[in-house]
Amino acid sequence: MVLRRLLRKRWVLGVVFGLSLIYFLTSTLKQEERTILDRNLLEARDPDHRIPWKVRFNLGNSSRQITQCRNSIQGKTLLTDELGYVCDRNDLLVNGCCNVNAPSSRQYICKSCLANGCCNIYEHCVSCCLQPDKQPLLESFLNRAADGFQNLFTAVEDHFELCLAKCRTSSQSVQHENTYRNPQAKYCYGESPPELLPI
Amino acid sequence: RPPFVVRCCSFGLFYFPFLVIFFCSMVTRLPWRCLMIILLSLFPEYIVAFNGYFTAKARSHFISSALRSAEALDWHIVLRENPASDFPSDFEVVQIRQASHSSLLPLEDHPYIKRVTPQRKVFRTLKYMAPCNNVTRWTQKWQSSRPLRRTSLSLASGFWHATGRHSRRRLLRAIPRHVAQILQADVLWQMGHTGSGVKVAVFDTGLIEKHPHFKNVKERTNWTNEKTLDDGLGHGTFVAGVIASMRECQGFAPDSELHIFRVFTNNQVSYTSWFLDAFNYAILKKIDVLNLSIGGPDFMDHPFVDKVWELTANRVIMVSAIGNDGPLYGTLNNPADQMDVIGVGGIDFEDNIARFSSRGMTTWELPGGYGRVKPDIVTYGSGVRGSGMKEGCRSLSGTSVASPVVAGAVTLLVSTVLNRELVNPASMKQALIASARRLPGVNMFEQGHGKLDLLRAFQILNSYKPQASLSPSYIDLTECPYMWPYCSQPIYYGGMPTIVNVTILNGMGVTGRILDKPIWQPYLPQNGDHIDVAVSYSPVLWPWAGYLAVSISVTKKSASWEGIAQGHVMVTVSSPVRNNSEVDGEMTSTVKLPVKVKIVPTPPRSKRVLWDQYHNLRYPPGYFPRDNLCMKNDPLDWNGDHIHTNFRDMYQHLRSMGYFVEVLGAPITCFDASQYGTLMMVDSEEEYFPEEITKLRRDIDKGLSLIVFSDWYNISVMRKVKFYDENTRQWWMPDTGGANVPALNDLISVWGMAFSDGLYEGDFTMKMNQVYYASGCSIAKFPEEGIVIAKTLKDQGLEVLKQETVVVEGVPILGMYQTPSEGGGRIALYGDSNCIDDSHRQKDCFWLLDALLQYTSYSLTPPSLTHSKSRVAPPAGSDRHLPERLEGNHLYRYSKVLEAHLGDPKPRPLPACPHLSWSKPQPLNETAPSNLWKHQKLLSVDMDKVVLPNIRNYRPQVRPLSPGESGAWDIPGGIMPGRYNQEVGQTIPMFAFLGAMVVLSFFVVQLTKSKNKPKRRKPRVKRPTYFQQQQLAPTGKNPTV
Repeated sequence: MVLRRLLRKRWVLGVVFGLSLIYFLTSTLKQEERTILDRNLLEARDPDHRIPWKVRFNLGNSSRQITQCRNSIQGKTLLTDELGYVCDRNDLLVNGCCNVNAPSSRQYICKSCLANGCCNIYEHCVSCCLQPDKQPLLESFLNRAADGFQNLFTAVEDHFELCLAKCRTSSQSVQHENTYRNPQAKYCYGESPPELLPI
Repeated sequence: RPPFVVRCCSFGLFYFPFLVIFFCSMVTRLPWRCLMIILLSLFPEYIVAFNGYFTAKARSHFISSALRSAEALDWHIVLRENPASDFPSDFEVVQIRQASHSSLLPLEDHPYIKRVTPQRKVFRTLKYMAPCNNVTRWTQKWQSSRPLRRTSLSLASGFWHATGRHSRRRLLRAIPRHVAQILQADVLWQMGHTGSGVKVAVFDTGLIEKHPHFKNVKERTNWTNEKTLDDGLGHGTFVAGVIASMRECQGFAPDSELHIFRVFTNNQVSYTSWFLDAFNYAILKKIDVLNLSIGGPDFMDHPFVDKVWELTANRVIMVSAIGNDGPLYGTLNNPADQMDVIGVGGIDFEDNIARFSSRGMTTWELPGGYGRVKPDIVTYGSGVRGSGMKEGCRSLSGTSVASPVVAGAVTLLVSTVLNRELVNPASMKQALIASARRLPGVNMFEQGHGKLDLLRAFQILNSYKPQASLSPSYIDLTECPYMWPYCSQPIYYGGMPTIVNVTILNGMGVTGRILDKPIWQPYLPQNGDHIDVAVSYSPVLWPWAGYLAVSISVTKKSASWEGIAQGHVMVTVSSPVRNNSEVDGEMTSTVKLPVKVKIVPTPPRSKRVLWDQYHNLRYPPGYFPRDNLCMKNDPLDWNGDHIHTNFRDMYQHLRSMGYFVEVLGAPITCFDASQYGTLMMVDSEEEYFPEEITKLRRDIDKGLSLIVFSDWYNISVMRKVKFYDENTRQWWMPDTGGANVPALNDLISVWGMAFSDGLYEGDFTMKMNQVYYASGCSIAKFPEEGIVIAKTLKDQGLEVLKQETVVVEGVPILGMYQTPSEGGGRIALYGDSNCIDDSHRQKDCFWLLDALLQYTSYSLTPPSLTHSKSRVAPPAGSDRHLPERLEGNHLYRYSKVLEAHLGDPKPRPLPACPHLSWSKPQPLNETAPSNLWKHQKLLSVDMDKVVLPNIRNYRPQVRPLSPGESGAWDIPGGIMPGRYNQEVGQTIPMFAFLGAMVVLSFFVVQLTKSKNKPKRRKPRVKRPTYFQQQQLAPTGKNPTV
């Protein structure tokens, strides 16, 4: 009965309402804050945190039969397909693979690449990087990649995509922002950036 | 090259050293420069305001009945041809000649006429002339990138208030409108195309989470050093909204997949390296359309330019803003000036080119070649409405706005194509430029191919077959004003070949090549044999595009012939295609480039002026400072210094005076001096080969005359204007002064002339003309027989170095000299080039140039100069030492003349003069149509095949926005499907919950009340109300909320 009478009072109701309102507001706001916090946490990771990469390497079975190939699309005259063959644009088959029988086609070319893993020709870099024995090197790079690359390399799905992305020129390729560190060998599959040449 | 990259946002022109990529705040900030608004009365036009809204017919009836009494009056209604003209209006603009106040009285007396006011023209200009007397400014200037950036930002913020200078009735202009509606995107929406399945990337300032305007934000990524994904400026939100907003201010493609790349910080800083990484991610994500509302003058930033090529090679359609540096010519921004990118300029809603829109040819090709046509197309960029940072709409201007209009249209277009294989950067660009509507009275270096026409582009794209096409698609050197500057000067025998730089777009594949050699086929009935044509072209067309440079020259037999010659160039482009067999598969496409030129007899020597382009250097790549030191926020000389870029006004003036101006893009040794009256060297930064110096001396002995407009060169000042770049911890030191005076002195020393290292500034009067001398040098040495004019000026060098103002009397600034040899030429020197340069010019001195040309070409000495009080004895050069080259300068890095050497740089061996190999003509007995434009269309596209279901004469419904009205804006007939109510943010559930709480508490009160007082009242009376209210509760629409 006392409880009932108390409940009847307007101020009690007001207090109840007010408290629930405050609770409601703070909980919604907190939720919002938490999402923002989450994003920032994702970005501000501690230095030895590893990129959660999910690259699947096709261990050594490059001879597997595939009917459709992805290839490096962009080349002026050359292309590299996902099996590591480099060929002339004219020797590309309808399925996107290099014509293996064409004289220009060769697998795993490292011809224009230097010892530090930097190449003069993008397609050579991709092809060289696809070589199965480069896998440990790539894995160790993925484990230590700089934060700036996190967006890129967490989105990479397999060996071929990794090589396409890794060989591109990036923030690691430039000095003074507008100049290549080494204009002759700027496409790198290796861990180190291109050798720094004086301007 | 110096470690500085300057990239600026097309939203403004900001230079920052070191790669600070500036971005454009669309935010209106009042700069320290005052924005002046002047109201002028435009004499014969009156605005007649009515009491209500009436149709055009009724309005005209009212006015004629009101003016019937005053029949003598000559009046007519000014037609307003805008989309609103079909709707009732409450005013009319009437033009009344000989209007007096009394003649307006009958109008005002009419019962339906509220008032009559004179039409006013509003000028909004920047108060440009920054006073050059603020002593303290030198100290805070040039020290680092940041102050530079800020001042330039403010300049830019002023620009987007100014609109087309051709506009006559600007007061009617400023109704912000839905750009997607005006471009008739709703026709495509009604066909079910809303951009679904197309990935659009917006490289900008980011976007807040859960913006109410967007339903399909796939991903937001941050590439800056700030730990946020949100837009702190509103630029990125606006741009994304123009592309994909689904409500209020609607974008073009609301169902497209948005990928937000945050590459600008809230401080509007960005770096090339951020872009490189972000672009790589865009390639990986297989983005279809990418909008870049940024740009900068540094087309020599190889990592950036290469990356843009790489991006388009991966089939990303790049759309970029051409820049906000207009109306000056030579101000195109990179990457919009690249062949593989769709460069977008801005217009206002009256189809005038927006004043801020950058224009003029590209300057990559100088000095030897000629620039390409850019922008590609123009579209609305002035007063466009787009999404506000958190909600609502706002209206903004700038090419940053025009670019997403095209990007949105492109996104929508991509989603209409069934076979996506056919869509690539080249085919999209081909469709856009082939469908664009040309604006009358505007040349191609301002409007490109014209104004975006979405529906025609849709038709073309949906009947598209892979092919090559050319931009421009024909060469008609007689067509004015579209083909300006070609149409401004006919060609003649003996002139420098006219070069037209045509871009080949290859929709067949990312690489292509030109098969065989292009063929020149003159039309014999149309005098095609009177011209020679040489063609050079890109060895490989990659990515999607290449150049085709057509040089046209008159044959010797036509030296005194006058007429029009026509013919065409045939080019076959081939691209590899994927094939099944062992045989090479190729696809080919043949395009015809019609050519039409006007030939006149060779003008006399005295009428011919040769402009030295070879010795003009500019940014990029090196730091070549501005010629006017007062222009602090634009420290670089980057407009090309060509007669068709920033010396355009001077060129037009010389043409109007009857001179024929040609450009020398090769060393001085490469022209026949006996053909020319005067050689003009203006603001040259380059060194000279010893052979050039000898040859010029010989030429002048034989009657060639020389005019030199020099500029400042003072080592101490150059050291002072160096600045420390915080990003590289390096000093950026200019490689020359405004001009390379030591090199010029080497050139003219043989006649006993020299410029000093003085630096002067000030106003004076000469020949009744006001002259402003902005940062020029003086003449240190001049032959005794010469005429020298001196003026009183301020020593700007002292001002820069010591902040002291010293007035110097008798500074020799102008010298004229007749060489003594028989038939020898004349030489005229002037110490400052600003007054003939369009950039930052305050007062022109074309009259002085006229006088000097009269002197050099005709040996007429203007008496007002020779008998002027300002004439002084020629200085002997003893009192002032001559400028020395700045020790340790890096000019050799950018010079075509010097090369690095142990010790001082040495001249290279003289390069061979350019040699054109003329195509062997294959004459045709054919005639071409007289109007090339109408007949030259994109090949093999049958537009009638694709029928639009709904092409009614669509008029967007326009409601004027009253000044205080904010965002909310109902879309007439808006058909955006989808989750309109689902994502209205978190506010709605909150309000619902609150409402429910209030209702609940109300019932609790009611309940307790009723239980407490049961005995006194009859419960039956209460019950029904209770039930009623209970029923109301679940709907949540209780009005008490």
